Amino acid sequence: MTPHARRVIQSAILGSTALLAIGACSRLVQAAGSQAASASSTQSSASASHDRWLHVRVTNPNSNDETVRVNVPLELAEKVLPTINKDRLHNGHVKFDEIDCHGIDIHALLEAARTSADGEFVTVQSKDSDVRVAKRNGYFFVNVSEKNHPKKSQVEVKVPMKVVDALLSSGKDELDLVAGLHALSLQGDTELVSVKDADNTVRVWLDSKNISD
Amino acid sequence: MLLAKVALGCAGALALAGAYTFHEGIVSVQEVHANGRPVHVWLPAAVVPMALHMVPAHYVEHAASQVSPWLPTIRALTKALEKYPDAELVDVRDSNQHVRARTQHGKLLIDVDSPDENVHVACPLATIEDVSRQLTALAPAA
Repeated sequence: MTPHARRVIQSAILGSTALLAIGACSRLVQAAGSQAASASSTQSSASASHDRWLHVRVTNPNSNDETVRVNVPLELAEKVLPTINKDRLHNGHVKFDEIDCHGIDIHALLEAARTSADGEFVTVQSKDSDVRVAKRNGYFFVNVSEKNHPKKSQVEVKVPMKVVDALLSSGKDELDLVAGLHALSLQGDTELVSVKDADNTVRVWLDSKNISD
Repeated sequence: MLLAKVALGCAGALALAGAYTFHEGIVSVQEVHANGRPVHVWLPAAVVPMALHMVPAHYVEHAASQVSPWLPTIRALTKALEKYPDAELVDVRDSNQHVRARTQHGKLLIDVDSPDENVHVACPLATIEDVSRQLTALAPAA
């Protein structure tokens, strides 16, 4: 073998060894990355199991291809909401005034409901609709059912009283949304809003799953 | 022998540069109009914060001032989303359009499919946070 051929072979061996080493290193880095990713995914699924998710789902019973699905971690909403300062929303508080409420003192109304015993506060039965407002087992209920409407509808709202307390914990003309979300995150799985009419079904609920069925 | 050493050095440097460039993943933007030329942008995420240093300062400052009211929200959102690397956040569908916003493997993915245009954006959350941090530093004080 000539010295030149030996040098060529040596270079080839060196080059291929280097390439193999780089390949092995990249595989090691990949393996470390995937281990870290699986560790973080395990961590995230573990943390996800403790997370509370607010789900909104709008479906059209007549058409399966019209749907809205929103899944929001409450912790995320709690962190992001205080950073939004736009119109009436400031630092996680939303302001309202008398004009918004047509002269009704919402704060006083909710405060009265909060401090009163369980029972039905409002019952309106007319030929068009039935309205019920009640407090029972730590929940505030509002049920509205339209009867003679060409498209019959049923609205059910169920809010934990602790959430109402938290919402009212700030000033007179504002609601503390962040406190409300925090109080909501301490609740168990619950359906908050359900609206059913001929066109749409709306559901708002709270659970620990990061997907809506 | 010298040539092999040089080749080895180059290959090693190339491998390291490649590994560094792609370690944060890829930013990808695809836009396809019904009657227009498609736009496909595909670049390593690590390049984006570096590229900001090369853009003339007045352009970046202008962009920072425009987006500054929303920078705290963007930062809080990306930081919070990092805890949810694989989550379906929004899915809106009707007979013609489909809009999705989700996180997948630490990337924020936004897909809009409609008869007029299809837009698909994928960006690592870490890159959004890096860029928003840089823009925060450049934004005029409130």
